[in-house]
Amino acid sequence: MRNAYNRFRLGLTPQSVLAFVFLIILGYLVIVPLFLMLRETFLIHPLERFQIPGSSVGDLTFAHWERNFLSENAYAFFYRPLLNTLRIALGMSFLALAIGGTLAWLVVRTDLPMKGLISNAAIIPYIMPSWTLALAWITMFKNTRIGGDQGIFTALTGVVTPDWFAYGLFPITICLALHYFPFGFMLIGGALRNIDAQLEESAELLGASRPTILRRIVIPLVLPAIFSTFLLTFSRGLGTFGTPAFLGGPVREFVLSTSLYANLIGQRPGIGYLAAVAMIALGVLVLYMDYKIIGTRRSFVTISGKGARAGLVALGRWRWPIAGLVLGFIFAVIAIPLTALAIDTVMLRPGIYSWDNFTWHYWVGDASLTVGLGTGEPGILRNWQLMSALGNTMKLAVVVALITGILGILVGYAIVRLRGRWVAQALDQMSFFPYLMPSIALGAIFLAMFAVPRGPIPSLHGSFWLLVIVCTVSYLPYAVKAGVSAIRQVGPELEEAAIMVGASWWTRMRRVLIPIQKSTYFSGMLLPFISVTRELSLLILLVTPATQLATTITLRYTDRGWYPYTNGMVLLLVIIVVTSTVVSRRVMGTSIAKGLGG
Amino acid sequence: MPEIVLDRVSRIYGKDVRAVSDLTLEIPDGSFTTLLGPSGCGKTTSLRMIAGLDMPTTGTIRIGDKLVFSRDQGRSLPPAKRGLGLVFQSYALWPHLTVAKNITFGLEVQHIGKTEAARRLEQVATALQIDELLDRYTSELSGGQQQRVAIARVLVMEPSVLLLDEPLSNLDATLRMDMRAELKRLHHDTGATIVYVTHDQLEALTMSTHIALMQGGELQQFAPPLDVYSRPANKFAADFLGNPRINLLEGSIKNGRVRCVGLELALPSGIAKPDNSAVTLGLRAEEIRLHTQPKAGTESARVTAVLPTGSDWYYHVDMNGQTLTVRQNDAPQLQLGSTVHVEAVPDPVKLFSADGLAIALPQNHSEGV
Ligand SMILES: Nc1ncnc2c1ncn2[C@@H]1O[C@H](COP(=O)(O)OP(=O)(O)OP(=O)(O)O)[C@@H](O)[C@H]1O
Ligand SMILES: [Mg+2]
Repeated sequence: MRNAYNRFRLGLTPQSVLAFVFLIILGYLVIVPLFLMLRETFLIHPLERFQIPGSSVGDLTFAHWERNFLSENAYAFFYRPLLNTLRIALGMSFLALAIGGTLAWLVVRTDLPMKGLISNAAIIPYIMPSWTLALAWITMFKNTRIGGDQGIFTALTGVVTPDWFAYGLFPITICLALHYFPFGFMLIGGALRNIDAQLEESAELLGASRPTILRRIVIPLVLPAIFSTFLLTFSRGLGTFGTPAFLGGPVREFVLSTSLYANLIGQRPGIGYLAAVAMIALGVLVLYMDYKIIGTRRSFVTISGKGARAGLVALGRWRWPIAGLVLGFIFAVIAIPLTALAIDTVMLRPGIYSWDNFTWHYWVGDASLTVGLGTGEPGILRNWQLMSALGNTMKLAVVVALITGILGILVGYAIVRLRGRWVAQALDQMSFFPYLMPSIALGAIFLAMFAVPRGPIPSLHGSFWLLVIVCTVSYLPYAVKAGVSAIRQVGPELEEAAIMVGASWWTRMRRVLIPIQKSTYFSGMLLPFISVTRELSLLILLVTPATQLATTITLRYTDRGWYPYTNGMVLLLVIIVVTSTVVSRRVMGTSIAKGLGG
Repeated sequence: MPEIVLDRVSRIYGKDVRAVSDLTLEIPDGSFTTLLGPSGCGKTTSLRMIAGLDMPTTGTIRIGDKLVFSRDQGRSLPPAKRGLGLVFQSYALWPHLTVAKNITFGLEVQHIGKTEAARRLEQVATALQIDELLDRYTSELSGGQQQRVAIARVLVMEPSVLLLDEPLSNLDATLRMDMRAELKRLHHDTGATIVYVTHDQLEALTMSTHIALMQGGELQQFAPPLDVYSRPANKFAADFLGNPRINLLEGSIKNGRVRCVGLELALPSGIAKPDNSAVTLGLRAEEIRLHTQPKAGTESARVTAVLPTGSDWYYHVDMNGQTLTVRQNDAPQLQLGSTVHVEAVPDPVKLFSADGLAIALPQNHSEGV
C-alpha cells in the first residue's frame, strides 16, 4: 500500500498533473455539452408544447426527430438546408482551392515579380470578417424586387440584377470562396515550399517536361496538403453563418446554420438542436475522411527539402501581365468591397449615388427621426451602444487571446512531453474537437449548458465570462497547434539543462521555454484575437443586451435595413484587425501562417 | 568526491523495450569512468538515470552516502540536489541568452550572490578560455566553443560528479584530440568523479580510469581499460575493443594443447579443460608473427592484402580459409600472394568457452605459449 502510494508520487510530474487537469476541464467543456445537446433533441421546450398535442414542458419525446426527418415539412426543415449547406461548402471549397492553389504555385514556383507584396496582400481577405464581402455584395448588387433600394451596380448601369445573382446560393458561394482562398494559398504554399528540389531535378534530368513534372511529381506530392486544405475549408463552409444569413435571408434560402438559428430563437428549439447535431455529425465525418484518406499519406508532405530552391518556372513575357492580373484580383477582392461599404456610409438617402447626397450623418450626426433613414440613432462614432459594443469586442478579443495563448502553451507542453502515452493522445484529440464543431452549434450547446446552474457552476447566461469560455474552447485548436509546434521545436534537452541546475517548472517555462519561441506563441494568440473581433456565429446565441458585441449588434441593424451603420461598423472592424495584424508582425514577428501551424 | 552505486537498475520503456537491464555498477570515487558500447545499448539511458532526468523501472541508485533513487521508498532526489552536472550531447545551450547568461543562469536560480557569481564566471571562463566570448549569443560560436560553454555552464555549479554524454562526437578530428587532453586535465584539476558516455573505443581507452562496457542494456565488463583490452570478459568485449578487430579462431582442446585452424599452442598452466571441449582463441593483430620460414607450431598462410599505415604494416593473410589481420611494425616486405608462416604469441592467452565467456586465467599469469 505504502509502496503503491510512493510509486504514484514519483509519477507526479508537472506534465502529468497538467494533462489530467486539462483532461477533466476539456471533458467538461467539450464532451459533456455534446450529450446535453443530444438530450435537448428529445425534450419538449416551452413553446413546443402547443405544437405537440398533449405534451408538457420537459417531457421526453421523439416528436422532433419525426418532424425533422419524416414529416411533410422535413424537406423545408432539414433536407433543403442540408442540401444547400453541402452545395455551398463543396462549391466554395473547390473555388477557394483553385484560386489559392494557383496563387501558391505562382508565388512559390515561378519567377513572378512582386512576390512579397502578393503574399502579404493575399492574406488580407482571410483576416477581414467573412461577411464583409457579403455586405459589400448586397451594397453593390441588391435589387429593388425584394423591397428596399437599388445597389451601386444598378445605379451605375441601369441593369437590374436578377435575384439569383443578388441573393442566395450563388453569391454565398462566391463570397465564401473569396474569403477562404488565402487558406489554400498559405497551406498549399507551405507544402510546395517543403518539396525537396532534388525530386524535381532528378525528373528533369530524366527528360521530363515542366508540365509532366508538375503533373507527375509536384501535384502527387502536395496532394495530401491539397486534400486536407480542402477538408479544412469544407468544414468551415459547413458551419459558416454570417454570409448565408446576410445573403440568404432576403430570399429565405436557409442553410443548416441559419435554420438552426431561426428555429432556436424562434418556436422550434428541438428542430434547431437537431440541425446542430447534424452539423457536428458532418464535422466528424469530415475528420474521419481526413483520417482515412490522408492519415497514412500525410507523412510525406513533411519530408522537407533543404537547400536552395532551384529552377523556378520562367513565365517569360507573361511575367508582368500575370503579376498585374493577380494583384488586380487581390486588390479587387479587398478594395472594391471596402469602397462599396465606405460609399454606402456617406450616402444620406440609400441607393442614390451623387455628390449632393453626400453626408457624414451616419458617422457623426445627431439622433434624428427625419434625416436620411430616420433611425433615431446618433452617428456611429457618437453612438454609445455601438461604441460600447466595439469596446466589448476588443475586451473579449484581448482576454480570449491571452487565455488561449497560455492554455496553448500549457496543453502543448503536456502533449509534447507525454508523447506516446494515451493521455497525450486524448488531450490532443479533445483539444482539436472544437474545430469540427460548427461554431453556431457550439454556441447552441453552451447556451443549453450554462443557461441554468449545474452543480457548483452558476448560471453564466448573459455574462461576459460565458463569451470568454466559449471563444476559448472554440479557438483552442489553433492555440494548441501553435503550442505543440513551439514546444516541439525547443527540444527536451534545453529544458533538462535547466532542471539540472534546479530551476523550478515555473522558472523553466518563464525563462527558457517561452522566450525561445516568443513569436510562435504570439502567432498562436493572433489568430484567436482576429477571430474574436469578427466572430458572429459562435456568439450570436449567447450575447444579451449587456454583452452586445460589434458583430452581433451589426446584425440587428441589418435586420432593420440600416445598412450605413452596419457597413460603418464593419469598416471599423476591418481597420482594427488589419492594423493589429500588421503591428504585431512588426513588433513581435508573428505570422498568421505560423498560427495555422503551416 | 562520491562514488556512484547502481544496484540492479532496469529501465523498461513501454511494455517490453528493455533499454537497461539489471545493471549493477560501482563507479569509484574520483574515477573517470566511461560507459562504452554500440549505439542503442543503453548508455544515455543509464546516464540520465544517474542524473535524475529519467527514473529506473526497478533498482536503486546511491551517490556517496545519499540514496538518490528508490521507487519502493518513493524517493527520487531532484537532479539539482544530487550534486552533479550534465553536459548534453547536443550541448543544449539556450539560444536566447548570451554565453555569460548561459553560464550564470544556474547561479541565479540558486540565488547565489552577484559578486560570487561574477567571481565564479570569471574563473571558469578563464579556465576554459572563453572569456572573450561572454557577450556573444551561442549561435555565434563554433562547435568547439559551444562545447566549452556547455562545460563551463556545468562547472560553474561546482559539481562533485560530472556526467558527459558523447561530448566530442560533434567535433572534427583534430579538435577532438585537443578536447580529450583538456577533459583529462579537467579531471585531474577538479578531482571530480566523471562519468563519460561514448561509443568510441579509442576515447574510452585513452581517457578513462575505468570502462563499463555495455551491450543490449546489459553490463559486459567493468574494469580498467587495459584490463578490458587484454583480459576481455567475453567474446563481445574482445571483439568490441581493439583496432583492428581481434581475430577469433574456433578450435578445441587436445592433450592439453589448444588447436585452432591449424595453429597449436600450449594450454596455460592452471587451466583445466577436458579434451575435445570447443574453445575460441582470441588473437589480437599484434599477437601474430609472420615468418618466411616454417618453425615449430607455425602454420602456413597466404598474404591477401598489404596495408601500410606509415608507422605499421597491416596484412590480411588467408590461413586454411580463415582471414587473419596481422600488425607488424618492422617491415618484412611480404609480397601479395606470397606464402608466410603464422606464429601465435598471445599475451595473455585469451580463450573463450562455447558460451562466449572467457575461460579465467589464474592470477598473475602472463607468458603464453
Ligand atoms: N523514450 C524512449 N522510448 C522508448 N524506447 C527508448 C526511449 N529512449 C530510449 N529507448 C530505447 O532504449 C535503448 C537504449 O537507448 P539509449 O539512448 O540509452 O542508447 P545509447 O546507448 O545512448 O545509444 P547511442 O549511442 O545511439 O546514443 C534503445 O534501444 C532505444 O531505442
Ligand atoms: Mg546516447
